[in-house]
Amino acid sequence: MSEAAIEGAEAAAAPAAASALRRSLRAVGRTGVVLAKRALMLAVLLAVVFAAIELLPGDAASATSERGESAADTAARRRLLGLDRPVWERFPDWMTALPTGDLGTSARGEHVTDLLAAPFPNTLLLGATAFAVTLAAALALGCWAALRPGGTADRIVGFASGIALALPEFVVSIGLLLVLSLWTGWLPAVTLTAPDGSPASWTMLVMPVLALTVPQIGWNARIVRGALADQAAAPHVAAARLDGLSPRRVLLRHALPGAWPAIATGAATSTGMLLGGAVVVETLFNYPGLGTVLSGAVADRDTPVIAGVVACTGAVISLVLLCADLVRARTLGARP
Amino acid sequence: MNWTRRQALWAGGGIGAAALLSACGGGTDAASSPADSAGGTPRKGGTLRIGALGRASAITRDPHGVQGNESDYLIIALVYDTLTAPGVKDNTVGRLASAWKPSDDLKTWRFTIAEGAAFHDGSPVTADDVVWSLRRLRNTPAGPGRLPGIKAENITADGKETVVLVSDDANAELPLLTRLSTFVLKKDTADKEVAKAPGTGPFKLDWYRNGNARLLRNDKWHGGQVHLDAIEVTMFESPQAMANALLGGQIDVASNVGAVAARTAASRKDIQLVRRPDDMAMPIVMRTADGPFADVKVREAMKLVVDREAMVKQVLSGYGTVANDILGTGDPAYAKDIPQRRRDLAKAKKLLEEAKFDFSKTYELITTEDIPGLAESATLFANQAREADVKIKVVKQESGAFYDKTWLKGELYTNYWGTNDSVVFFASKTMVTGAGQNEAGWSDSQFDGTYRKVIGTADKKARAAALRELQQIEHEKSGYLLWGMADGIDLAGSKVRNLPKLPGYGRVQFENVWLAR
Repeated sequence: MSEAAIEGAEAAAAPAAASALRRSLRAVGRTGVVLAKRALMLAVLLAVVFAAIELLPGDAASATSERGESAADTAARRRLLGLDRPVWERFPDWMTALPTGDLGTSARGEHVTDLLAAPFPNTLLLGATAFAVTLAAALALGCWAALRPGGTADRIVGFASGIALALPEFVVSIGLLLVLSLWTGWLPAVTLTAPDGSPASWTMLVMPVLALTVPQIGWNARIVRGALADQAAAPHVAAARLDGLSPRRVLLRHALPGAWPAIATGAATSTGMLLGGAVVVETLFNYPGLGTVLSGAVADRDTPVIAGVVACTGAVISLVLLCADLVRARTLGARP
Repeated sequence: MNWTRRQALWAGGGIGAAALLSACGGGTDAASSPADSAGGTPRKGGTLRIGALGRASAITRDPHGVQGNESDYLIIALVYDTLTAPGVKDNTVGRLASAWKPSDDLKTWRFTIAEGAAFHDGSPVTADDVVWSLRRLRNTPAGPGRLPGIKAENITADGKETVVLVSDDANAELPLLTRLSTFVLKKDTADKEVAKAPGTGPFKLDWYRNGNARLLRNDKWHGGQVHLDAIEVTMFESPQAMANALLGGQIDVASNVGAVAARTAASRKDIQLVRRPDDMAMPIVMRTADGPFADVKVREAMKLVVDREAMVKQVLSGYGTVANDILGTGDPAYAKDIPQRRRDLAKAKKLLEEAKFDFSKTYELITTEDIPGLAESATLFANQAREADVKIKVVKQESGAFYDKTWLKGELYTNYWGTNDSVVFFASKTMVTGAGQNEAGWSDSQFDGTYRKVIGTADKKARAAALRELQQIEHEKSGYLLWGMADGIDLAGSKVRNLPKLPGYGRVQFENVWLAR
C-alpha cells in the first residue's frame, strides 16, 4: 500500500469518527430528552396522587387518631403534620425535598425513607424475578407456537394463554396456596422475614413469583406469537423461507429481530401490571414489600408514604419504558 | 380502643380460601378443642413464634406513640412494663407497680414500684424514671386521652420508690388508666434512642426489622419466672395469611386471627382454638340528642326488635355472646343480674305507636367494613326491623368518610370498641354529658350524677351499688343497642400452653406461656 493511500484512508477515517461522535451525541441528547419527559410525567403523576388523596374523605390526622383522642387533640396533630396547610403548599415542599432523597415523614412520625428501605428492594427482587420469568416463558411459548402456525402447539398455547391472562392474581394465588402449600406442604405458605428484612428463604419467593407471572405470561405469549405472525408475512422472512432455511433458523434469525419492538413494548407494560399485582400478591403471601406498605398508607391517607411508593415504582416503570423505547429505536433505526 | 381501620381488601380472597378449605376438610365436630391448654408443669425453654396483625405503613416504635399495629403493641408490651395491667379476677393488677393507695378524697394516688424492678442493662428502676415516662406519655398529642384528668406537673416522685399522681377530680378508678400505655423507659431517653432503649419487661429486644422482631428472655424479670427462651414476632397484614402460616406450621400462635380463620381451622385436630370472650363490642348507636331516636321509647323498641341470638349466630359465626345493652361486659363489676332483654315485637310495636313513630319513612343505618361482620350486623338488623314494620336501609361508608361525616353525628350507625373490660371506661368516654366520644349525643342528669358517685366514692360497697345503678340507667335509656360481644380468637399449635385469656389488650400477655414437649 502506498503512502498516499494510507493518508487517504486516514483522511477518510477522520470524518467517519466525527460523524460517529455526532451520532452518539445525538443519541445521548435524544435519551436526555426522553429522560426529561419521563421525569416530568412522574412529577405530574405525583401531583395527581397528592390531589387524589386530598379528594378522599378524611385525612391522615383523623385516620391515624386514637379512639380516646378528642377533636382538639386531632386538630393539634393535624397542625403537627402540617395538614392544616393547603395541598398546593405541601406538594411543592415535598417535591423540592425529593431530589435530596428526603421523602418526608409518615403520619405516625416515621421517616418514609426508613419505611421503604427494606420493602423497596424486596419488591424489586420480586418484580425483577417475575419479569425475567415472564419474558423467558413468554418468548419460549410464543416461539414454540409460531414454529408451526395452526399446529397443536399453537392451539394449546393460544388457548392456555387466553385463560391465564384472564385469571386475576388473587385467584392464582389461592390456587397455588392450596395446592403447593396447604395440601402438599411443598412450599411455605407465607413469607417470613429474616433479621435483615429480606425473605428468610428463597422458597418463599416461588409462589408470589408464580402468582404474578401466570397472567403476565399469558398476555406476553400472545404478543410474541402475534408479532412473529406479523413478521412471517414480511418479504425478507418469506425470502428466507423460500431459500430453504430451517423453520427454526427463519424464526430466530429473521422473524424474531423484527418482532422485538412489539415484544419489548408488551413486556414494558407488564412492569406496571406486575407492580400493581404485587399489592394483592404481597398481602396474600405476607411478602414484606411495597404493596403492603401502599395498601395501609391509602387507608391512613398518609400522603408522603403513598407518594414515596409512587415515586419509587414510577421511577422503575419509567426506566423500563425507556429501555423499551431504546430497543424500538435501535431496531427500527437499523431498518430505515 | 384503637382497633386498626383495616381495608377489606382481603374479604374476597380470604373467604374464598376458607370455603374451599372447609369444603375439603370434611370438618366434623368443629367445637372440640384438641389439647388442654393449661395442664402440666411448665417446662423451660423453646422459641415461641407468634403472628400478629399489623401494617408496614403504620409501624410505630415509640412505646408512647399511637400504636395502630397489634404486632408493635405486642412487642412493646413484652419489652416494657406498664405500671398496672389488666387482670382476670381484679380488673387492675400490678405490673411495674406492686401497690397503690388513694388519699381520702380519691384525688392523690401513690404507686409503689415493685421490688427488684430493673432495666435490661441492670440499672434499677427509680421513681424518677417512672415520672419522666408518664410525663412523656402525657405530653404526646394523644396524652390527654390516655391519662385524663392528670396534668404532667401533677406526676411527681416521692423518694426512690413512690410515684404520686394527682388527679383534677376524685377518681376511684384511676389505676385503671395506667394499664395500657404507661410504659416505663429510663429517664432522659432521647427520642432517637427510644426504639432501642432498654425496658424492664419479661423479654429483651434481640432485633427488630419492619414490624418483625426477636425477643430474648429476661432472666431477672421482677414479675417472676419466664419460661420461654425467645419469642419471634411476625407481622401479618391479613388474618388469612396468618392462618395459613399457622396451618402450614410456620408460626405457633396466630393472635387475634378472627372467626373466618377459626372456621377454617376448626377441622384440624392439631390446632388449638382459644376464645377470649368480651373482645369486641359492635353496638348500633342511636342518636339521643335529636332526630327520630330522641324518644327513649323508640330506643327501647329498637332494643326489643333485635334478635340477639340470631345476630351472634349469623354475624359472629357463633363465636360470641349475647349482650344486654351495657358496654364494658368484660368488667368483673358488670351487672349480670340485670334481666336479659329479649326480642318482643308486640311490645316494640306498642312502644313505637305510643311514641308516634313514623312508620312510613325509611331510616338509614350507616355502617363500614372496618372490621369483619360489622356491615353484616347492620344488614341483619335491618331485616329484623322489617318484621316490626320499621323500614331501615343500610348505607355502607368508607372508613374515612364515616369518621368524617357520621361518627358522633349520625342518627343511626354501627360502631365498634375493642376495649371492653370497664364499665366506667365507656361511661367516662362515651356517655357522660360532654364526653369526647359521646357517640349518641347522650345527656342524662341521672346518669351523670350516678357516674360522679361511682368515681367519687371510696367505700367499696357504696361504689358497687352506684356502679350497679349506673348500668341499670344505661340499660334502660342510653343510645346504645349492644346486641352481642364478639370473642377474640387466637389459633395455636398443640404444644403451646398457658395462652392469654383476656380480651382486648390482654391478648399480649404471653409472659407465662410455655411449650410442652
